[in-house]
Amino acid sequence: MTAPPRPAPAPVRPAPPATGVPGPRHAAAVAEPLPPGKVRRSRAASRLRRLGAQRGTTPGRLRLLLAGLLALGLLTGTAAAVTAASAASATDRLRDNAQPLLLEAETVFSALADADATAAQAFLTGGLEPADLTQRFDDDLERAATALTSAARRTPAEGGAGVAIQTLNGGLSRYAALVATARANNRQGLPVGASFLATASQLNRDQLQPGAEQLLRLAQREVADGYGDATAPGWSRVLTVLIVVLLAALVAVQVQVSRISRRTFNVPLVAATGVTLLLAATMAFVFTLQRDHLAGTAADGSRPIALLAEARLLALRERGDEALTLVSRSGGTGQYETDFDTAATRMREVLGDAAAATRGTSAAQMVETARDRHTAYATAHAQVRKLDQDGSYDEAVNLAVGKGTTSTFSAVTGSLDSALTDRREAFADQIGSAGRGLGVLTVFAPLLALALCVLAGLGIRARLEEYR
Amino acid sequence: MRRSPALAVTLTALLALTGCGSAAVSLPEISLPQAPPAATQAPAPAAASCNPKASLRPPDELPEPGKMPAGSYMRTIQDKGQLVVGTGQDTLLFSSRNPLTGAVEGFDVDLARLVAQAIFGDPDKIDIRVLGYADRVTAPQQGRVDLVAGTMTATCARWTQADFSSVYYQAAKRVLVSTNSGAQSLAGLAGAKVCAAQGSTSLQTIAAYKMPSVTALPLEAVARPTFGECLVALQRNEVAAISGDDAVLAGLAAQDPYTKVIGPRLSEEPYAIALSKKHPEFTRFVNAVLAKARADGTWQRTWTRWLGDLGPAPQPPAAEYKD
Repeated sequence: MTAPPRPAPAPVRPAPPATGVPGPRHAAAVAEPLPPGKVRRSRAASRLRRLGAQRGTTPGRLRLLLAGLLALGLLTGTAAAVTAASAASATDRLRDNAQPLLLEAETVFSALADADATAAQAFLTGGLEPADLTQRFDDDLERAATALTSAARRTPAEGGAGVAIQTLNGGLSRYAALVATARANNRQGLPVGASFLATASQLNRDQLQPGAEQLLRLAQREVADGYGDATAPGWSRVLTVLIVVLLAALVAVQVQVSRISRRTFNVPLVAATGVTLLLAATMAFVFTLQRDHLAGTAADGSRPIALLAEARLLALRERGDEALTLVSRSGGTGQYETDFDTAATRMREVLGDAAAATRGTSAAQMVETARDRHTAYATAHAQVRKLDQDGSYDEAVNLAVGKGTTSTFSAVTGSLDSALTDRREAFADQIGSAGRGLGVLTVFAPLLALALCVLAGLGIRARLEEYR
Repeated sequence: MRRSPALAVTLTALLALTGCGSAAVSLPEISLPQAPPAATQAPAPAAASCNPKASLRPPDELPEPGKMPAGSYMRTIQDKGQLVVGTGQDTLLFSSRNPLTGAVEGFDVDLARLVAQAIFGDPDKIDIRVLGYADRVTAPQQGRVDLVAGTMTATCARWTQADFSSVYYQAAKRVLVSTNSGAQSLAGLAGAKVCAAQGSTSLQTIAAYKMPSVTALPLEAVARPTFGECLVALQRNEVAAISGDDAVLAGLAAQDPYTKVIGPRLSEEPYAIALSKKHPEFTRFVNAVLAKARADGTWQRTWTRWLGDLGPAPQPPAAEYKD
């Protein structure tokens, strides 16, 4: 980079007499003696005055203009680099931190809900616990524990999410111990096994699931914030202002220079303007692309994922409520059946929203299957309730835990699972594209800014030479 | 002015860059319905003084099974096809769920079967509804069940909300503690947490218990939904003792060899079947069934079947009637 031609360290350059604008060729520094009283000024004040004095002469003015352009150019370059870097890192955070945390929170929640439903079903079956239910329960606990471990890695130990994870970790082992005791008692034919199961279920529903829900909400907020941060809104505003000011300055300088030099174009300055426009266009292009991909990520990824996750939780909740209503043998007057109805109503809404959110995507068919199977499950549930209400408790239990209803229900969660997997892939694709170009921009933008500084320097130095 | 079109384009592009604020992403809030809260229990109305053991006098003759008199509540039940029985499922020996078969069985359930036998001629025509301790008193009056047979004490307070049959079992309040506890009665448990089922008379007993020594800390009452969950709390060292009827405690002690029943028989707990006040003829009918069971030895046989481990069957409690 060529150093800007600095003003010669002349002792004092007083302002010329304000009689008319001096022509470019006649502007010569005319020294005039200072009034004696003003000699003892502080250095800062004299510097300021010196700077002010520059405005009076043409080369001085050119130097000032150049200094201004260089400062603006360097600022713009820095701001562009910072904007790109901040957007890139926020996009990475969204991809590597917020969205995975949301999935983990959802996994913990659904594993807990599934464990609760499974334990209740195993209890309902009576006698020896079926091996597949034991397996499923153990898998649930393992899934919850694994997801908690990796969620803990993504969150600081202090703060809401960290505390929620610690509480869940502690509660999970207590829950597992209670269910193990329930099993041991059941095997000995002791009814206290049922009480251990009830205590475990209460722990699960009153403490663990709310904890998981809290974690889920925090993660969800982080995702929403992540989308906001990913576009680096603050920095892009600063950058926009800088680019506009820089362009205006370049135009103004060229008008000045062309007036001084009586030439319409100063080629290096025109080139500098072109480079600035290129910088603006590049930034705008990359950011528009990123914004499009982010919008796609939200519409095709995050939004359907949130809906499908909620649908899966609601389905498990329904299944758990059904089993617990039967376990409590309250004839359907209890709290669980009321809860079932609430969950089922919400489920229909959520599935409708999910269908709308996935329309035209590869997940649409899976959501349709889930909807269809859920309707079938709701019919089976109504049949279970009718049997129980009519006093055919055993038939009701057989229908609820029997093969038919179980496979209908598995089809609901199964198709929701595949839809979720599908949407996770869509999310990964889109957010990968959103981050593209930002890294290159971090290097490219300062280089462009540097180039425009050099061009501006060249353009103005050529004019300054004429005053040597 | 030469560059103004270019500037305009740039400005438009820049506006796209800042996008007029951050990307407005609206994600659906996951809003799961709140988990149902634990049932709360209304305080029992103030007790009037009465003889809780005195019930309505039964007729001398029972109608033949399957031929209930028209207009009677027994006829309604006969037409329904099943006797709806409210009970618990964790009181071993009286009414508990057999973990191997899933069936609810015990002394109380067998008494309900006697009523079903008398109405239908078939003891299996019963439909078990498990009730929380807190709503056993109101369930018959609300028509949710035909009768409640589940270690339920007849008290004057409860008589205001339900009718009771004649007494079929005489229980008494005692205390269950771990075998390593040094306490001999509630008096030795100063400041300790003592558990009882929510809505049970035992919970009131703990709350009202006055320590013999004025310096001793009072008992801390802990309520759980069922006595089974009290045993869970005892096994997890969350409470030091369970206060309950000896009949209930015997069932708990049978499930845990590290517990023992201590203390004097604190109060009389006459167990009776709760029925709706709307159908006095049904109460008289149930009393007739019980009177028959006392007379023909069915009571003793049922006692021996479930409670035989406690010793030989005693004489059944004598029926008292108020009219």
